[in-house]
Amino acid sequence: MSDSKSGVFPVAGRFTGSPVRRSEDPRLLTGRGMYVDDIRLPGMLHAAFVRSPMAHAVVLRVDTKAARSAPGVRAVFDGQEMAQLAKAGGGPLGDMGGEGVESPIFTVLATDRVRMMGDPVALVVADSRYLAEDACELIQVEYQELPAVTSAEQALDPRSTPIFANLGSNVLQGPTTERFGDVEAVFASADRVVTASLTQHRHQNVPMEGRGIVASFDPATGELRVNASTQGVHGVREALAAQLDIPLEKVHVRAGDIGGSFGLKFGVSREEVAVAAASLKLGLPVRWIEDRNENLTVSGQAREESFEVEAAITKDGDILGLKVKMVIDAGAYPGVAPMLVGTIRQMIPGPYRMEALSFTATVAITNKASYVAYRGPWASETWVRERLIDLISAELGRDPMQIRLRNVAVRGEPPLRMVTGPSLAGITAQESLQRAAALIDLDSFRERQELARQEGRYLGVGFGTFIEPAPGPRDPDETPSEEEMEQLRMRLELDGTVTVFTSQMPHGQSHQTTLAQVAADHFGIPFSQVKVVVGDTDMVPMGFGTGGSRSATMAGGATLHAARALRAKVLEVAAQLIDTGPETLNIIGGMVAAEKASTRSITLVEVAAAAAAGDRLPPGIDRELEVNFAFDGGAGGWSGGTHCAVVEVDVETGLVRVERYLVVEDCGEMINPAIVEGQVRGGVAQGIGAVLLERSAYGEDGQFLSGSLMDYLLPTATDVPQIEIEHLETVRLDADVNFRGVGEGGMIVAPPTLGNAIADALAPFGVRITEQHLPPARLLELIGTMDA
Amino acid sequence: MSLSAKGLSTDEIFQVELTVNGERREGAVEARKTLADFLREDLALTGTHLGCEHGVCGACTVLVDGEPARSCLMLAVQARGSAVLTIEGLAQKGELSSLQQSMWDNHSFQCGFCTPGFLMQITALLEQSPNPTEGEVREALSGNICRCTGYQSIVKGVMAAIASSNPKDVS
Ligand code: FES
Ligand code: FES
Repeated sequence: MSDSKSGVFPVAGRFTGSPVRRSEDPRLLTGRGMYVDDIRLPGMLHAAFVRSPMAHAVVLRVDTKAARSAPGVRAVFDGQEMAQLAKAGGGPLGDMGGEGVESPIFTVLATDRVRMMGDPVALVVADSRYLAEDACELIQVEYQELPAVTSAEQALDPRSTPIFANLGSNVLQGPTTERFGDVEAVFASADRVVTASLTQHRHQNVPMEGRGIVASFDPATGELRVNASTQGVHGVREALAAQLDIPLEKVHVRAGDIGGSFGLKFGVSREEVAVAAASLKLGLPVRWIEDRNENLTVSGQAREESFEVEAAITKDGDILGLKVKMVIDAGAYPGVAPMLVGTIRQMIPGPYRMEALSFTATVAITNKASYVAYRGPWASETWVRERLIDLISAELGRDPMQIRLRNVAVRGEPPLRMVTGPSLAGITAQESLQRAAALIDLDSFRERQELARQEGRYLGVGFGTFIEPAPGPRDPDETPSEEEMEQLRMRLELDGTVTVFTSQMPHGQSHQTTLAQVAADHFGIPFSQVKVVVGDTDMVPMGFGTGGSRSATMAGGATLHAARALRAKVLEVAAQLIDTGPETLNIIGGMVAAEKASTRSITLVEVAAAAAAGDRLPPGIDRELEVNFAFDGGAGGWSGGTHCAVVEVDVETGLVRVERYLVVEDCGEMINPAIVEGQVRGGVAQGIGAVLLERSAYGEDGQFLSGSLMDYLLPTATDVPQIEIEHLETVRLDADVNFRGVGEGGMIVAPPTLGNAIADALAPFGVRITEQHLPPARLLELIGTMDA
Repeated sequence: MSLSAKGLSTDEIFQVELTVNGERREGAVEARKTLADFLREDLALTGTHLGCEHGVCGACTVLVDGEPARSCLMLAVQARGSAVLTIEGLAQKGELSSLQQSMWDNHSFQCGFCTPGFLMQITALLEQSPNPTEGEVREALSGNICRCTGYQSIVKGVMAAIASSNPKDVS
């Protein structure tokens, strides 16, 4: 526990910084959570979808007749019928497309075309899920198969069949090139140019709870009430109102406990729109809970990029600049991919000094599941950069740690700015690299590695370093837009407790605990006296929800400032009641007490009651003990760190054993270290899974090959090692708020860390690792013991 | 393929009587109804979660006559006459079990969706072998998937629960 500080805020630091036990847990540990699948409404019906068995086809005919008269069926909607009820939309993230991107147009259910395996073609609503699925089997769809476009390479071929008629080709965006610095001059001055083709394979979020919705339309009032599994309730509300063409104020969205998401559950999916449309049409509650096969096949996938990179370097290992060409495989209904281009481009220099960058990007459309956000959506920049540094080191015959330390930007040494623009104020990349190297004891590891090699055992060590804009340092000249601000409401209740209303939508991040910790400290009441309300559009302020590692800074900061503002208001009222100056008063443990022992103290209940009644207060005093606060993020700052993996590769079986995994990280001031460490470890586990196990696999005909958890392999307790974490002391950029986000870093940097370790282990075989997915069979191919 | 699509009757109803969390419960179900759906829908015990419905993730684990079972793969009719323990039955009289308490103290979980399955699996493990090593715990949990935590906090919670129930002098 941090010790309490004295002064104006005597209790600050009492909860913040401590591993306070989560207030979420008593319900979740006893089976009393309330996930969307747990909602029961009177008369609730159940939905199931008929889905395309083909990757690309024209829909010739949908025959729903037999299904309509099947037992328990209340309604069936084909694509045409659904098009009457819901407007065409713009993908998983609505129209968050990049600049200059023409949005493909598509209906909620397929009308004329199916564009990926599992594309929804018809919706059945019945008395039970069992009966709905039975009826789905009675629906006959006639397709005319089209050639499937299953790789970006095929998509870029002008002869490929256009997946969207209104686009005319399968190139959604690009190639577009942006240049920073004098690229040609830097390459002309280089001692050598190192080239590499690096790829990242398709893998996906797979939260343990899939998507789901319960929609309930009341024809009498015209109100649509929705329960969703989402990362932000307001986004669901806005999208449903727009696509169903009903007034925003008639739509109410709530969310309870969410069983994970990792970027998947933003906005509304086509299925969710269809279910809400069905409820609207039927005037009854309709529920749809995605099954695992649907989740894997259609909910969304991420991360399929290929890069051609040239690095201009000096013979001493200075990295002068990069030329990068990237192609993203955005899948069938492009949502987030075009938006990522700018982030990947901006972030690719990472914490390193380089003088020039040329970045060319192309976004392709294919007949695969749509590209969605997945924990650190832009992470390919870290994969490419950190793998490239090891390849450069190998070419120069130098240790990668030396090359990293040589090139990393150092505080106090200008220009402390990425070549792409952002300030690197406050970064601790150099410290984290040095600390990780020391903790791993690189020299003695090299000795051990050498001895092991003599015995035919192959050990390797790999490092990766990253920075994450969580939220990133704020440019003092830029004023954040209203959407970028974090809104928060806080009030003192009549019972003396405090309620925090936040637009954050926790789905594992524990905001009901962390925000209560901050509020408790800065208002001055016990943690247990703070309630955090989430997930209800009727109650929580506007905001985008939880994602992008924003919440620690943005919601943590908004809570801190709101608590101080509310405290000031309460002290004003209390000062009137006990006839003293507010500056002499303090709130401690739920009591308003004066510095002078002679002045009496009063309870918060008394203050709240007096403010509500008003008769004991002079006119003109603000009696509303509630504040709305909009936080701009303060000075912001980077999260970041260095990871290190020590692995042993069994060259007979291709199995990789992670012997040690070490994280040295800086996420600013921690609100709750146990929650921070959980975020880090969970991200690392996903990164390990991505490299050793997980792959969203397609056949050449576009058939999805990993539609069950027997085919899409997730890491288990025997795959993930102990993950050691050391927290660095942070550089405080803001006077008050130095909490930074930590949700994505583990997943961002674990893949290159592990890839580098495997490459190091296999160096004696001359193996060059340029791809991210390294399951045993692939490693044996690379080693040469198995034919490709 | 569903039963009706095979031309079989789905409307034959079976009576099911069983004990759930120490209470006698009964219901009338179709043959194809899974134990998980029976618990969640007919008995409104929604603490048991469904993460895959094909036997891999372990979220649906309950104890049937003391043995861990995947309630998504078991039919309700197969549980006739059995004693079933679900997550709702772990806390006694509003008091968390020592395992639940330890998982709380150790920040074992995040989103909580996998939690019921882990708790039931661990409960069975500790019944059968009260003093497992960390390696044995990881092995025993390797059929349960958690996508949030990376497992370390879960294993730590289990080891702490074991330590608190075994005084130091274990031989
Ligand atoms: S739901 Fe039963 S094992 Fe996954
Ligand atoms: S805590 Fe989320 S799946 Fe385990």
